[in-house]
Amino acid sequence: MKDGKKIGIWQILKTLMPQIVKASPWLFWGTVIVQIFHGISWGMGIMMQQRFFDQAVLLVQGKTAFGRVFLALGGMGLVSVGTQILNGAGNFLPGVLDKIVGRCQIEAIHEKIARIDPASFEDTRKLDEINKAEKGAENSFWFICTFIIIFAFYLTYFIFVGWYLFSLKPVLCVTLGIIFLPIALGQLIRMKFFTRMEEASAPVRRENEHYEACMVSREFFRETRLLGSFQYFKKLYLETLGLLLGLKYKATMKSNLFELAMRGITVAGYIFILLMLFDALMKQEVSVGAFAAVFHSLGALYCIMEEVICRHVSNMAQEAGTVVNYIRFLDMEERDSGGQEAPGWGDIVLEDVSFTYPGAEKPAVQGVSFTLKKGETLAIVGENGSGKSTLTRLLCGLYQPGSGRTVMNGVEMGNLSFQALFARTSGVFQKYQRYQMTLKENIGISHTGKPCEEETLNRVCRMAGVEGKKELFPKGYDTMLSREFEGVDLSGGQWQRVAIARGFFRSHDLIILDEPTAAIDPYEETRVYNQFAEISKEKSAVIVTHRLGSVKLADRILVMKKGRICQMGTHQELMAQEGGEYKRLYESQERWYQEAE
Amino acid sequence: MKEDLIVPGRTYGFTDFIRIPCKVCPFYTVIRIGNHILASVTPSLQVLVSAAFVDTALAVFAGRAQGEDIYLPLAGLILIIAYTNLNWQIISCINLKSEIRLTQAYKAELAQKRAKLAYRYIEDNDTWDLINRVCKEPVEKINGGFGNVLGAGGLVLQVGSLLAILLAQVWWAGLAIVAMSVPLFFLAIKGGKQIYEENKNAMKYSRRADYLKSVLQGRENVEERTLFGYTDAVNRQWREKYEAARKIDMKASLKYFIRAKGSGLVIVVLSLLIVFVLLFPLKRGEVTAGMFMSLVTAALGLVQTLSWELTNTMSKIAKNVEYLKDMTVFAGLGETEGALDLPETEMAFESLEFCHVAFRYPGSEREILKDFNLKIEKGRHYAFVGVNGAGKTTITKLLTGLYDDYEGDILINGKNLRTYTQAEIKALFSVVCQDFARYQVTVEDNIALGNVLVREKTQIKEAADIIGLGETIEKLPQGMQTYLGKVREGGTDLSGGQWQRVAIARALYNPAPVRILDEPTAALDPVAESEVYEMFGKVSLGKTTVFITHRLGAARLADEIIVLDGGRVAERGSHEELLSKKGIYAKMFEAQRSWYQ
Repeated sequence: MKDGKKIGIWQILKTLMPQIVKASPWLFWGTVIVQIFHGISWGMGIMMQQRFFDQAVLLVQGKTAFGRVFLALGGMGLVSVGTQILNGAGNFLPGVLDKIVGRCQIEAIHEKIARIDPASFEDTRKLDEINKAEKGAENSFWFICTFIIIFAFYLTYFIFVGWYLFSLKPVLCVTLGIIFLPIALGQLIRMKFFTRMEEASAPVRRENEHYEACMVSREFFRETRLLGSFQYFKKLYLETLGLLLGLKYKATMKSNLFELAMRGITVAGYIFILLMLFDALMKQEVSVGAFAAVFHSLGALYCIMEEVICRHVSNMAQEAGTVVNYIRFLDMEERDSGGQEAPGWGDIVLEDVSFTYPGAEKPAVQGVSFTLKKGETLAIVGENGSGKSTLTRLLCGLYQPGSGRTVMNGVEMGNLSFQALFARTSGVFQKYQRYQMTLKENIGISHTGKPCEEETLNRVCRMAGVEGKKELFPKGYDTMLSREFEGVDLSGGQWQRVAIARGFFRSHDLIILDEPTAAIDPYEETRVYNQFAEISKEKSAVIVTHRLGSVKLADRILVMKKGRICQMGTHQELMAQEGGEYKRLYESQERWYQEAE
Repeated sequence: MKEDLIVPGRTYGFTDFIRIPCKVCPFYTVIRIGNHILASVTPSLQVLVSAAFVDTALAVFAGRAQGEDIYLPLAGLILIIAYTNLNWQIISCINLKSEIRLTQAYKAELAQKRAKLAYRYIEDNDTWDLINRVCKEPVEKINGGFGNVLGAGGLVLQVGSLLAILLAQVWWAGLAIVAMSVPLFFLAIKGGKQIYEENKNAMKYSRRADYLKSVLQGRENVEERTLFGYTDAVNRQWREKYEAARKIDMKASLKYFIRAKGSGLVIVVLSLLIVFVLLFPLKRGEVTAGMFMSLVTAALGLVQTLSWELTNTMSKIAKNVEYLKDMTVFAGLGETEGALDLPETEMAFESLEFCHVAFRYPGSEREILKDFNLKIEKGRHYAFVGVNGAGKTTITKLLTGLYDDYEGDILINGKNLRTYTQAEIKALFSVVCQDFARYQVTVEDNIALGNVLVREKTQIKEAADIIGLGETIEKLPQGMQTYLGKVREGGTDLSGGQWQRVAIARALYNPAPVRILDEPTAALDPVAESEVYEMFGKVSLGKTTVFITHRLGAARLADEIIVLDGGRVAERGSHEELLSKKGIYAKMFEAQRSWYQ
C-alpha cells in the first residue's frame, strides 16, 4: 500500500466481507436471513394491526363476527411473537459471530506481526499502525455488521413500510422523507461539530491527563508528595479541565441548537401527516383501522429511523477510520518472505553496512565491514549510544541493512525466511522479557519445538545461576512468575538470570549477549561471564557491554564510536595503541577500581 | 471547593448516585429528575390523548360531532409530539451543565483523595487496581448510576401509569398484569446478577488471553519474538484461552437473550390475552374504539420496552452495585495526614539515627530490614551499597515518611520521626529516585518545583548550569521556558541523560539539608555515573548526602560507605578501611577490579 492512498468503503467491504464469511459461513448467512425476516416482520406488524383494528371497529358496529376478529387478533399475535423471536436472534447472532471473527482476525494479526520487519517497531508511524490494527479489526466486524443490518433489516423494513403507505395513499410516502431528512442533516452537522471539537480537545486532553498523572500516578507519586508540588499540578489540571469542558460545552450547545431546529421541522412534518391522515379518513380514503395503525406506528418509525442514522451510520463513520488502519496493517510490507533453505552454519560477513532508524537523521551504524568467524567470540564495546546494540541486531539478521550486505555462510540474509535465518541463533537482550508464565515456560519459550526436559532445564539454570530454591520457586519449574496470575514476584537480578537461562536453552551456534548483566551484582556477573566463556568455546558468540574489563576473554574486541568501528583487535593489541579509544575508555573505568593511592 | 463527595467510612449506596449530583448542582438535578418523571408518564398521557383524538375523529366521521371538536385533542397531541421530539435537545443542555459542574467538583476531589492516600496503597497492586477502577471515567459512572436509578424508577412509573389507565377501564385485567409482572421483575434482577457473575468467570480466561496477546503484539517483545519464533506456539495458547472465555460468554449471552426475549414473549401473550378480553367491553361499548386501539398499541409497545430495558437496566444496576462497593472501600482507604501540605520554610538537620528498625512490606513475609542500626551525621557524604533487594531503597521510603509501620525508631535530631509533620519531613529531604519524575512542563518549572515556596530565577539557572544543563537549555527553542516532553505541542523531548540532569538540578534547587540520590543513574554507564556523583558531591559541600548504588565505582567518593546485606548494616567505613577489612565490600570490589587487571 502506497502512503496516503485513500481506502474507500468499497475496498473495506471487499477486504473484510470475505474474511467474515470465511470465519463462519453458516452464522453469516444465518444472520443475513434473520435480519431480512426481522425487517419484514416489523412491517407486517403495522399491516396486521390495521386488519385487526378494522375488524375491531366493525365489531363495535356489529358488522362482523367474533370469529373473524379472533382470526385478526391471532394474526397480529403471531407476528408479534415472530418479531420478538427474530429480534432476539437478530441481536444474539452478530455477537456470536463477532467473537469468532475476532478470533480469526487476531490470530491473523499475530501471524502478520511475526512476519513484518522488526525494525518497523522503531518507526513511530508504523508502530502506530500496528498498535491500532487490533482496534481496527475489532471495529471492522461491527462496521460490516452494521452494513448488513442496514441493508438486510432497515432497508427491508423501509421498503415494506413505504410500499404499504403508498398502497394506502401515495402521498403518505412523503412521511419517510420528512422523518429521514431532518434527522440525517442534524446528525451530519453534529458529527462535524464534534469532530472539530475532538481535534481541538486532543492536545488539551493529553496535557490534562499528564497533569493528573503528575498528581496521582505511581510514576510521579513519591516525588510529587515529597516536593509538595500537588497544588501546582492541581492548578494546571483544573485549568486544562476547564478548557476541555468549555470546548465540549460550545460544541454541544451549537449542535443542540441546530438539531432543535431540525426537530422543529420534523414536528411540523409530523403534524402535517396527522392532518393529512385525518383528512383522508374524513374523505374515506383510508379505513379507520389504517388510520389508527399508521398514526400509532409513526412514533415507532421515527425511533427506528433515528436509531439507524444516529447510532448505526454515525458509528460507522466514526469507525471507518480505525477500520482503515486495520486494512493498512494487513497490507503492510512483510520481510519474512525469503524462501531459501538454511545455509548451515559458517562465517557471517558484513560488507559496508549502514543502518538508519526510521525517522532518525543520523545513521546509527555507518560503513561497517567485518567478518564474524565461525566459533569466534567477539566483544563489542563503546559508550552509550555508539551503535553497539544496533550492530548486533544487524549481525544476527534482526535488522536489514539500509545499504551494504549481510551474508551468512555465503547466503544473503535478506533472502532467508525468519525460520532459516534464526535457526541457529540465540540471544539475551538488554530489554529481556519478563514473561508472566511458569519458570519452565519462561525458559522453554526460546525454543518452542524442543522438549523441556528436567535435565536440560537443570543444566541451563545452573549455568545462568538460577537457583532452584524452594522459597523462590515454591512449585519448582511450574512456579508461575507473576503476582497477577497467582504466582511469585522475582527481583530484577533474578529475572535477568532467568533471561540468561532462556538464551542458553535455545539450541544455537551463535549467541548474543547484549548487556544482560546490568542488574546483577559484580560478584555474580563475573561468574556468569566465566560460564559463558565456557559454553561458547565451540560456538560463535557476541558480547556487548560498556564494561570493558569484562571482555578481555574475547577473541577479538570491536570498538564502536558514533556508529563506526574505530578499533578492532585483542585486548593486548588495543591496549598497545596509544591514544586509542579503547585505551582511553579502559583507563577511565579502571581508575575507579584501583587501589587507593 | 469542598463538597464532601467522598466521605470516609460511608457505605455507598444507590442514594449516592442522586446525592452526589444533588450536592454539586441541586437546581439542575431537580430539573433532570422532574423531566424524567414527565417523560415517563408521557406514554400514558399519549394513550389518553390519542384515544380522545381517534374517538373524536371517528365521531366526526360518523357525523356525531362537529369538525371543531377535533381541535382540543389535536392540540394535546401536538403538544405531546413536540415534547417527545424536542425534549432531548433541551434537557441535554441541562445534562451537560450538570456534567460540567460534576466533572470539576468530583474529579478534583478524587485527585485530592488519591494524592492523600497512605503510600502503601499505591504500592499494593490490589488496592492500586481498585483505585484505578474507581477513578476511571468517574463522572460517567456517577451519571450512569444516576441514569439507571432514574431509569428504573421511570420504568415503574411508565408501566404503573399505563396499568392505572387499564385498571380504570377493566380493573381485573390490570391486576392480572401486575400479578404477572412481579415475577418477571424479580427474574430480571436475578438475571442481571447472574450475568455479572458469569462475566467475572470468563474474565479469568480473558485476562490470560489478553496477556498472551500482549506478548504476541507488544513492541518490547519484538526481538525475542522474532529470534525465538514463538508466535505459533503462543498463538495456540492464546486461542485456547480465548475460546474458553468466548464459550462462557456465549452461554451467558444466550441466557441473557433467552431471558430478555422470554419475558418479552410472556408479555406478548399477556397483552394478547388482555386485548382479547378487552374485545368484550369494546363490543358492549364500555371501552371506546379509540381507547381500545391506543391501549393495544401501548401494550404491544411495552413488550419491546420491558423485554429490553428491564433486563438491561437490571444488569447495569448489578454493575453499579460493584462500583458502589469499590467506592466504599476507596473512600475508606487511610490517608496520610498533611500529605498535601507545602514544606516548612526551614529545617535544621543535625543527626539521623536508626534504632533497631525492622520492616516488612504490608502483605509480605520477607523482612527487608532486620534490627537495622545506623547513625548519620550532618555535613558528611554517605554511600549505601549492597546487592539488589538488600533494602537500600526501602530506607529512603521510611525516611521520607512513606511507610511508618516499622518496628523500632528513627530519630532525627534526637526526636522521633513519627512525631514530625509531613511539612517538616518535606523540608528535610530532597530525593532523586531511580524512576525520577519527568514533569512535562517548562524547564524552569521543572527545576523550580524543587522549592515550591520560593522562585528565584537566578538560582534556578545556577542549578541548571552546575549540573551541566546550561548548554542544552541554550539550544532549546524557548530557553528556560521550553516545554519538555511530547505532551505539549511543540515541546522538546530530552535524552535520558538530560532528563536525569533536570531531576538532579531540581534536587540542587531544593533547600533541604539532606540530599538522597537513589540510583537515578542506573541507565548510565559506570564512568558517566561516577562523574555525576563526583559533581553532585562537589556542589553539595556542607549538605548531608546519601548516594544509593549497587555499583561500587562511585561509592568510593563518599566519606563513608555503608554496606547493606540481609537487612542489616554489614560493614561501614571509608573505601580504604573496607578494603582492608576483606569483607563483603572487598570481595565485591575485587570481583569488579579483577576484570581490569
